Amino acid sequence: MNCAECRDNLVACAEGLLDREAMLECRAHLKACAGCRAEYQAIASLQQRLAARGQAAAEVSMVAPVMQRIRQEQFKPERETIMSKILKHRWGFGLSAAASAAAIVLIAFLGLPKTQATAAEVMVRGAEVMAKLTSIHLRGQLRTYPQDNFGSINAGSPFCTIELWKQFEPELKWRIEKPQRIAVMDGASTVMLIKTDDTGVKFPHPSRSAFDTDWLQRIANISNTISNELSNAQAKGWKLDTTKETAADGRLKDIVTIMAKSGVPDNDYGRNNFIGTADTRRVYRFDAGSGLLEAVEIYLVRPAGEVKIFDLSQIDYNQPIDPATWKLELPADVSWAQLEPPKLPDNEKYASMTAEQAARAFFEACSREDWTEVGKFMSPVTADLKKYLGGLEIISLGDSFTSQAYVGRYVPYEIKLKNGDVKKYNLAIRKDNPAGRWQVDGGI
Amino acid sequence: MDLTDKEYVEHCRDGHPEDFGRLVERYQKPLFSWLTGRVGDGGQAEEAAQESFVRAFRSLKKLRKPESFYSWLLGIAGRVAKEQFRSAARQQRDREVAETMMADATDSGEEYPLEEAIAALPESQRQVILLRYYERLSCQEVATRLGVPLGTVTKTLSRAYALLRQELAVREGVEPTVNQTQSL
Repeated sequence: MNCAECRDNLVACAEGLLDREAMLECRAHLKACAGCRAEYQAIASLQQRLAARGQAAAEVSMVAPVMQRIRQEQFKPERETIMSKILKHRWGFGLSAAASAAAIVLIAFLGLPKTQATAAEVMVRGAEVMAKLTSIHLRGQLRTYPQDNFGSINAGSPFCTIELWKQFEPELKWRIEKPQRIAVMDGASTVMLIKTDDTGVKFPHPSRSAFDTDWLQRIANISNTISNELSNAQAKGWKLDTTKETAADGRLKDIVTIMAKSGVPDNDYGRNNFIGTADTRRVYRFDAGSGLLEAVEIYLVRPAGEVKIFDLSQIDYNQPIDPATWKLELPADVSWAQLEPPKLPDNEKYASMTAEQAARAFFEACSREDWTEVGKFMSPVTADLKKYLGGLEIISLGDSFTSQAYVGRYVPYEIKLKNGDVKKYNLAIRKDNPAGRWQVDGGI
Repeated sequence: MDLTDKEYVEHCRDGHPEDFGRLVERYQKPLFSWLTGRVGDGGQAEEAAQESFVRAFRSLKKLRKPESFYSWLLGIAGRVAKEQFRSAARQQRDREVAETMMADATDSGEEYPLEEAIAALPESQRQVILLRYYERLSCQEVATRLGVPLGTVTKTLSRAYALLRQELAVREGVEPTVNQTQSL
């Protein structure tokens, strides 16, 4: 492959659309040609930046509230609009913004097949019933590693418990806990403790969500969730379905199923690693009498079949929450992670590294147990990390790659640990910090 | 089938206001993203984005070039973001604090020029970029959605990347070399 052919194929190559032979030829040319390689890296970098922007805005859904305001302005002189009739007759006035938004989206479903419209009606009723929560407590199970990020899923893992307490009034506070991680927002600051190596991370300000807990926080804001699910279903053509079921106690249940598509390509490394990057079937179970949401199940949908990854069966509404819930007991020797790496005197040396060079420098520093140097690539450098990676031997490092699910890059590696074990995995590494230095973010 | 911005704007003006929802759907994510860079907070950005769309709808008759709807919308959103800061200043009775907040947010190195650069793309290229990255469709899904061959999508992306890199280099004041692009 020559330069012209290579450049014609660069985007298809970066998108993973070339057949195997063409891909190999393209890669071989990129290895040998600095000019094309530079062009490829510039495209990949732009793609990464665009993907990160899209990912950050993935859950934005404002068609319903905007169109609601527009309709209200247009029909101000008329006391009875289609919208007001629907709101008045079906659910009464005084809905929260989210419940009203859900009701507006419902209008779009009224023209669709009856099952979809009925499913949307059940959801909107749930949004209205749950619009005035003061607190919520969720206890469920997620297939994930106990020490992994709050948002990570792994279809092959056993279930582990995940629990959320959230107070909406008088002041927003929340706590999320899984076996090896706890995050608490006490109204003033947001702190996470990773119990495996007593690492702490602290933001000196309150937050609505942090540490990859957004997906669960969204479930806790049930009224908003329902509105968002309906908007997404309408905008993206997700399929809605509803059935009725009689429980053992004779009570009738409305079950709404949504088939959600993540939009993340099949060949993306991050696909199915997080709730937001997986195609899922979401099952919401409402009590038909009260309209309250009683349970949520999320299934990972793969060609090989479905796997239940999340099971939420305990939801307590408006129960008093013990004030001790908002206090996080920290171990005396907690190692605090730096939120942002400082600029070093020789910062440029690190800022100009490629992801592969940074990964190599990191592993080599671990190999010679130069923990000051390791600290330039990650924070904190805990005793457990030193014990685990000290004296390692690098077997191989591969070409880095990106994922829509991650703002940085992944560098494939194979290392031999001091105890003789061989580990082959992908190092997650990012440089979106003011110092512009690569920081190891995971994958160890 | 997806229509052009101009066609949607004309439909709205011709008594079909419901078509404005298609423009909201098309631009809500890049607008939110751009505003997050300006105001630094997702909640405020969403509020400002909704307000911007509503104002755009009210002023739709004044839009001289319907094909430039998105650039025009960004202009409106910029004014809404400024008003938000002024309102915060009034509430806090401390204009200096608000001005500092505005300066901090706009000088924080956030990447909001990206959405401005997207606004400068020809519509066919902008549409493919928005579907691929903000709607997170695969290239094949973009091709199906637009009813064009897959090769057309990759070629359009290729042209859009080239223009975006040029545009970003101008807006961010750097040469579009590899290392600098990587450190963005």
